[in-house]
Amino acid sequence: MSDLWSRIEPLLAGVERPVRYIDSEWGASHTDASYRVALVYPDVYEIGMANQALQILYGRFGALEDVTPERVFVPWKDMADAMRAADVPLFTLESCRPVAECDLVGITLPYELTYQNILEALDLARVPLRASERSDSDPLVVGGGPCAFNPEPVAPFFDAILIGDGEDAVADIVAAHRSAKARGASRAETLLALARVPGVYVPSLYEPRMEDGEFRGMTALQGAPTIVRKRVLPDLDAYRAPVCTVVPFMDVVHDRVGVEVLRGCARGCRFCQAGMVYRPVRERSADSIVRDATAALQCTGYDDVSLTSLSTADHSQLEEVLRRLTRRLEGTGVTVSLPSLRVDAFSVQVARLLGGGKKTGLTFAPEAGTQRLRDVINKNVTEEDLLRTVTQAFSAGWRRVKLYFMIGLPTETDEDIAGIGELVGRVFRAAREVTPPGERGGMRVAVSVSTFVPKAHTPFQWEAQIPLEEVRRRQSVLRDSMPKKGVDLSYHDSDVSFLEGVLSRGGREIADVIEAAWRGGARFDAWTEEFRPSRWALAFEQTGIDPTSIANRSRRVDEALPWDHISAGVSRAYLRIERDNALAAQTTADCTFDGCTGCGVCGSSLVANILAGERRG
Amino acid sequence: MGETTFRLRVRYRKADRLRYLSHLEVVHSCERAARRAGLPYAVTQGFSPHMKLAFGPALPVGTAGLGEYLDLWLRSYVPSEDAFEALRGASAAGLAPVMVKYVAEREPSLGSVLSIAKYEVVLEGGEALQEGLTSSFSAIIAEGVLAVDHKGKQKVFELASTLPKEPDVSTSGERTTVGLTVRIGERGSLRPEALVTAALTRGALDGRIASVTRTELLVEEDGSWRDPL
Repeated sequence: MSDLWSRIEPLLAGVERPVRYIDSEWGASHTDASYRVALVYPDVYEIGMANQALQILYGRFGALEDVTPERVFVPWKDMADAMRAADVPLFTLESCRPVAECDLVGITLPYELTYQNILEALDLARVPLRASERSDSDPLVVGGGPCAFNPEPVAPFFDAILIGDGEDAVADIVAAHRSAKARGASRAETLLALARVPGVYVPSLYEPRMEDGEFRGMTALQGAPTIVRKRVLPDLDAYRAPVCTVVPFMDVVHDRVGVEVLRGCARGCRFCQAGMVYRPVRERSADSIVRDATAALQCTGYDDVSLTSLSTADHSQLEEVLRRLTRRLEGTGVTVSLPSLRVDAFSVQVARLLGGGKKTGLTFAPEAGTQRLRDVINKNVTEEDLLRTVTQAFSAGWRRVKLYFMIGLPTETDEDIAGIGELVGRVFRAAREVTPPGERGGMRVAVSVSTFVPKAHTPFQWEAQIPLEEVRRRQSVLRDSMPKKGVDLSYHDSDVSFLEGVLSRGGREIADVIEAAWRGGARFDAWTEEFRPSRWALAFEQTGIDPTSIANRSRRVDEALPWDHISAGVSRAYLRIERDNALAAQTTADCTFDGCTGCGVCGSSLVANILAGERRG
Repeated sequence: MGETTFRLRVRYRKADRLRYLSHLEVVHSCERAARRAGLPYAVTQGFSPHMKLAFGPALPVGTAGLGEYLDLWLRSYVPSEDAFEALRGASAAGLAPVMVKYVAEREPSLGSVLSIAKYEVVLEGGEALQEGLTSSFSAIIAEGVLAVDHKGKQKVFELASTLPKEPDVSTSGERTTVGLTVRIGERGSLRPEALVTAALTRGALDGRIASVTRTELLVEEDGSWRDPL
């Protein structure tokens, strides 16, 4: 077993932020089990350490008998270059051991623009990039995470990909791998055994079927399941959230301990992939949230606990949780924070309770500028809701709000775009009315506008993303309609949205593009200053793939899609109905407030919504 | 504030791999350790209440410290042995308390009293390096001033006051150790690497700095030096 520290240390004096590579944090666990797991996050330390899933899996692997999980992050460019020059392979933080010496290499798929970093990590680790090139002595490379719901663009790089919740599945994967090892199974036999684990997709056992140059679906080989259904943890309260997490020395993006209060969201926004693929809604009880938040603060020493989920304000016992936590934390300087707010009065009340005297800014997401378009996307927020909420916030002393919108949504017209500017104008005037004249100079409305990217497993999975020239034209329509005074308008980079669109709905052929882009120098494209559209343009050219045919083409509803063999539980029929409802501007209610809407999740996975109490709108 | 608080002075080490922490990272890590320790720390008043603590002079990234200081204010008295044990139990080995003691509220701040720093700079190189460095240091000191460029700015140090003691150079095998005592000035202090590098350049010497450690921080009072605890 080789400890690489003596070869790593001399490199540290020459790189930025050596703290990324030194381990030794509070909560890092150092064990020496016979089965080793490298948990790789495809970005730098300070991004990866803020990821809650990584902390959950670190805890889950560590709790297994005779298993040592170790963390791995992609070294920043300076360190990666120094490592290559000094012939030092990618190492795990805890034991400074080569990643290639681990039994299993788990790689998170958090965001499409980190895909090229998977190759950077594998290459630095000296593990063959493609599953087909790996031998019996190479570690098993397993993916998982939000982007696994369309795994095809990265499928050739993985031996297996877990679809859905990892809490229980990791034990099954380790058990299958171990027993295959024990009976001296070949790599191919091991993969067959893994394909029998519920939720595990083994890409090499699926072959794209092509007819007349058109993709017709996947053929499952050697008895692999035709459809891989996601794993679902039926009840979040059945296990304890990790409370003694690893506490970084470095200031990371979210410098706080997170306690997950619920998983899933049934609001049914039709553009939102997370809202479709993480169903059903599973709330944790107030008691376990308060217990875990208290224990986590004690164990980590953080001064902020974040109650995380897709929609924390929807938790039926949020008020009780906040009351109990804020009472406990009074006078300690320790705060509670929420990742997002709903557009309603309750949220302003909550923000008041949490912020103490601080009124830094509130963020809301109306997403579209007209009621018609908000109905199309099923964003159940009215203009009245928004004006009332903002008025309440400014009456309570806030002087800044941030509003999120999208352009390029299905059926959008120039009128809808101009509607964003008009809505912002009305928000500003309403806020102004309740702001004392002397303080009006400090009022700001930040408007952040992104381009809609259609995602797999949503009612909009068949839609065309608007082409780049059209994005620019619509941005200029928006600029013309936007009030200038007191408004800060910003856009999400349209080239980034375009690439996201290609990487999120592409098929297996996209793997060649990712590899070509990485070979051309693409690393850390999720970092604005590192992203070079030209590298990707060249990669598309080299591989002969037309990215617009993936991003900007609308699909027939009966067309085979690259992710049809992956099931998130929501039926294709439901997505089609929801698409028809969208086009008719018909809204669909949230099943945690009203009745079942028939999405199919509860039936197909034998799970159900779990609410800790009664939800209030 | 009006409330009675107890000022606990902590001598701590920042060593091993944790010498790569920045000062801000040290501050945040010590705050977290104090919270983990469950000490009844005092909190400042105002819009953004935070733990009341104060640090001695910062150490740069990569430099270790064996006797660094911080003052932590407590709302209630905790016997110093208990406070020490609690802090030690809540700290990573590389960033951990060495000794604690209560000091009087009226004592001046650590930043203003800690004025003497002792360093140990270890270089790769044997006896030839020792001789070369010794004569280079003498020559530099004889000149009386040293100009140092740091982050695009030039600072000039009066060596008679900056170096209250002559550097001490010793060799053991292929390692040469320079012992330096530096007076911390009001407008920044001399980095030991800067002086050693100047000596290497001056003597055209071959030697790589392997490590820098601040071994002690002292209070200078009426011409004599004392431990701040």
